[in-house]
Amino acid sequence: MRLFRTLLTVGLIVLLSSFAVPAQRKGSTAKRSTAVKTKVAPLKTDDLKALLAKPKDKPLLINFWATWCDPCRDEFPDLVKLDKDYRPHSINFVTVSLDEAKYINSSVPKFLTTMKATMPAYLLDANDPEPAINAVDQRWQGDLPATFLFNTQGELIYKHFGRVDIAELRGQLNKLVKK
Amino acid sequence: MKRNVSILLAALLVIVGAVVAGSGRVTSEVPAPPAIGATIDEFTLPDVDGQDRSLKSLKGKNGTVLIFISVQCPVSNAYNERMQKLAEDYQAKGVAVVGINANFTEDATAVKNHAAAKGLKFPILKDAGNKLADKLGATRTPETYFLDANNKLVYHGRIDNSQDPAAIESNDLRQAIDSTLGGKPVEKTEAKAFGCSIKRA
Repeated sequence: MRLFRTLLTVGLIVLLSSFAVPAQRKGSTAKRSTAVKTKVAPLKTDDLKALLAKPKDKPLLINFWATWCDPCRDEFPDLVKLDKDYRPHSINFVTVSLDEAKYINSSVPKFLTTMKATMPAYLLDANDPEPAINAVDQRWQGDLPATFLFNTQGELIYKHFGRVDIAELRGQLNKLVKK
Repeated sequence: MKRNVSILLAALLVIVGAVVAGSGRVTSEVPAPPAIGATIDEFTLPDVDGQDRSLKSLKGKNGTVLIFISVQCPVSNAYNERMQKLAEDYQAKGVAVVGINANFTEDATAVKNHAAAKGLKFPILKDAGNKLADKLGATRTPETYFLDANNKLVYHGRIDNSQDPAAIESNDLRQAIDSTLGGKPVEKTEAKAFGCSIKRA
């Protein structure tokens, strides 16, 4: 009898949860569809050069990434956290996607929205990437991800190729701002 | 109790090992590539079957293209057909194409299976310790080095300007090979493009 009661209870729980799960999923989908998508603006090579040109009123942190780049996606939550911690303290932080231009309104903003990224987001709009790479750093070969920090004099004071070392980057930013 | 502590320690070691293995070296620490005109030293690396292959045994009569490639990198994969076509087009002209996989995340079996699946028929070597990648200052995939008949570096960089074959405007690697074969100076000896970083050991 006790076994029957236990089985009945378990059965009821399974039955109820089978109704509850789709309802929850439905709710979250509806919420997602109404969420504001992060906007991604096209960035010509000349726009990038202008962005890097001195003088600047604030230090500039730039992260180059792409949706096809695994370490780029992996480091993004750290960058979003960093943005929230430092942008209010006089740091300009922008991201530049190296995805193909056709993804400017689809996979790129979709990923940024998922990450809750609110820093200004661009997509490099250049058929030949070389002038853009050289404008940032002659030593850079174009490997992603790549993160660069320029001071207000427009000097490159820190760079990191590959997944960012967040403690190291915070150390560099702390030298520039007072939190 | 003792057994539990041992299990806990073993688990901790695995986690620490995974973190260390996952971190790898970053390209900021990679030596600069050799200058154009420098002679590339002889090297030996195992192929995907574990057989040692030397540059001397693989080089073409009129030159050799070394291409750092990847199994997983979408940019490298966008160039699979172009790399194979390059090998086919230049074989008769005495230029050999040699692939090099220096990603610690991709073992010889994965490289072999990927080459078979994607129709890459040129030899591919496994640079497990990044010795060659370090020597050449290679940081991304795909990244190419064209050596002339005397192993002098005449071109370093991208295959062309675009992952999208329809948007190619500058066939930099082919132009460098054609100029060299025609006895003319190479106009553009270096050209860059975006790619995946080499996952160093």
